[in-house]
Amino acid sequence: MSRMAHIAALAWLAVVPVCATCAQAAGQSTNDAEGQWTMPSKDYAATRFSTLGQINRQNARALHPVWTFSTGVLGGHEGQPLVIGDTMYVVTPWPNVLYAFDLTREGYPLRWKYRPEVSSNAIGVACCDSVNRGAFYADGKIVYNLLDGHTVAVDAHTGREVWKVQIADLGNGETTTMAPLVVHDRVIVGAAGGEFGIYGWVKGLDLASGRTLWSARNLGPDEEMGIRADTFRPPYDRGASLGTESWGNESWRTGGAPVWGWMSYDPELDLIYYGTGNPSPYNAEQRPGDNKWSASVLARKPGDGTLVWAYQFTPHDSWDYDATGAMVLADLTVAGKPLKALVHFDKNGFAYTLDRATGRVVVAQPFAPLNWAQSIDLQSGRPVLNAARQTGVSLGNVKGICPSLEGGVSPASPPAYSPRTHLFYTSTSNMCMDYQVRHARHLKGTPFVGVISPYIAGPGGYLGSFLAWDAASGRKVWENKEQFPNWSGALVTAGDVVFYGTLDGWFKSADARTGEVLSKFKVGSGIVGNPITYRAPDGRQYVAVYAGLGGDWALLAGDTRSDDPSDVRAPAEPTTEIARHTSMGGIVWIFAL
Amino acid sequence: MDFRPVRECLAVRRQSALLILVGLLLSCGSPHPTQQPSASAAPPAVAYEAHVVAGDAPIPGGSLRNPHAGDPAVARSGALLFTAMNCDGCHQDQGVGWVGPNLGDGRWRYGGADAEVFNSIFYGRPRGMPAFGAALGAEGVWTLVTYLRSLPAPPDLPTESWQN
Repeated sequence: MSRMAHIAALAWLAVVPVCATCAQAAGQSTNDAEGQWTMPSKDYAATRFSTLGQINRQNARALHPVWTFSTGVLGGHEGQPLVIGDTMYVVTPWPNVLYAFDLTREGYPLRWKYRPEVSSNAIGVACCDSVNRGAFYADGKIVYNLLDGHTVAVDAHTGREVWKVQIADLGNGETTTMAPLVVHDRVIVGAAGGEFGIYGWVKGLDLASGRTLWSARNLGPDEEMGIRADTFRPPYDRGASLGTESWGNESWRTGGAPVWGWMSYDPELDLIYYGTGNPSPYNAEQRPGDNKWSASVLARKPGDGTLVWAYQFTPHDSWDYDATGAMVLADLTVAGKPLKALVHFDKNGFAYTLDRATGRVVVAQPFAPLNWAQSIDLQSGRPVLNAARQTGVSLGNVKGICPSLEGGVSPASPPAYSPRTHLFYTSTSNMCMDYQVRHARHLKGTPFVGVISPYIAGPGGYLGSFLAWDAASGRKVWENKEQFPNWSGALVTAGDVVFYGTLDGWFKSADARTGEVLSKFKVGSGIVGNPITYRAPDGRQYVAVYAGLGGDWALLAGDTRSDDPSDVRAPAEPTTEIARHTSMGGIVWIFAL
Repeated sequence: MDFRPVRECLAVRRQSALLILVGLLLSCGSPHPTQQPSASAAPPAVAYEAHVVAGDAPIPGGSLRNPHAGDPAVARSGALLFTAMNCDGCHQDQGVGWVGPNLGDGRWRYGGADAEVFNSIFYGRPRGMPAFGAALGAEGVWTLVTYLRSLPAPPDLPTESWQN
């Protein structure tokens, strides 16, 4: 531990626990906690569950749009707005404009907008469109990442920049698309770059100044990973130097394991949870071994970054199965016993129910069609592999692997959990792929990938769905099949209504118990963002969502783009019809009864 | 696309210096020996992207000529270079477009004349196109230009229709 980290750890002990009603404390709000949406996933457990119930399964059929706003930006509008008090905040994709809407006035005029200086080069370094996954509100500040490797804190009241710090190196392939997590006075951030061979990390910044207080790698030598000898207890692995010895040829140095998804926090255990992305490059034979801790979930102490446990969903990932999807914390009853669970829908097609204190796997079952493995062995925590669906440069073009490298669900599409129905709700994608890799050469500033991977439709005659999942038993409860891969996040409420969007631009509400669609409306562009709900100053409940096709679909469906006459693309299999139904956009939609 | 020629070429003649590697790739891919690339072979910078000229006054230094224009053997070398330099990571196999634009549609954001494509690769472009001039040398960049110009544009480019 460095001297700086020691000081940081001591300072941590003196901090008062974060209050549930910070907005009022900051003099911001007349709204209460349940009417607001102050962090990306609604709460630290990342449930995306709202206790609001004005809109319920009896009246949701009357939902209709009441307000829209063009962000002025075309591109994948992932992420979600925040609502603090009587203000709604929206972060756009690059160039990462922050809008603050006054919810007390008709038409929601802007209080201010903040336009940071952000490098256009980040657009080409970000692997998969210039997305942003949202902001976090804490201590009177809106904190979020700019695509070019900076974190900013903006005064939530005035829109003035409080601090702006560089956290990542664009020249080395690092971009910053994830939403920060603020715990006490730490801002936890990470960088994307699994397609550029970065050396993945997370950092803890000081909320007051933005100064980096600790930094920890997700791979590499123990001392760089925040491993203290007596504190790191992974559930299935023993020994030192796992982060180097599981990478042949010292491949950890350019091994990826980026952080671009979601983070959650358990205040009782004082642990943050986040997933890491794919190991680099895609040719797995260049990195013999398990490649720990890529494609894994890591549990750390937020105060100083100490690594407490880690579990790898996909050892020696050979399919680009990032594990950056949300880690949802819920208290479940499994086989008659209470379990403090962590539930994760992985790109690899399995849904995992873990003991979040130890990292041990309790339940692991497929939620989407898959064939790269037979099952997950609960004793070892390892997948039982299908020998015919492994990949590598010596194996040539391997056909018909499910799911595709887009995953059984995109990590950009977080699930929701209702403590009322005890069900999880998630989008899914049902595509398979051929996978042919080549030996990739690391050339700084260029992609470190080396794959040709065309997609095909998955089994069953549909490309995606939205489903309800019982994580205690590992089984599907209901499923709404969709024409295209489903790419939105989920929202569920105490009205037992679940909300989601489709890639071709339908915004839907459904009965959380049965899946029956209660309302649907065709918004201006495909939905890859996450719906939220809030209570406005008029006392009514509203639901907000972004329309703005993009993210991976900016790459996969280049024919949905119409703003660049110098870039004309043919439709791509298997979603050849998508451009018939939608095109790129960037619109905030609000719905009400 | 078959990557084996690149791999064998790399395996046989593994070198650390990038320019040497590029030179070997060029000679691997082409039946004819090509001139050794070097940074000193770079032309004077033409750092503009506008194609409207004020007063019909031509910009000095703007007339570059592709020494390999239309040479199919050089185009084949360029295809190997396109993957070896990770161009496919952004522009996809055969340049059909990914996070970077389609390079095979016959349309060009910064101009499609040989010299304009050369400048885009040599000096880079905004929105993330790296400058490859120092890594590739002029000869390497011309080889890529020759490859890109050899890509056939698809038919019915301006119209996408759904008939059913």
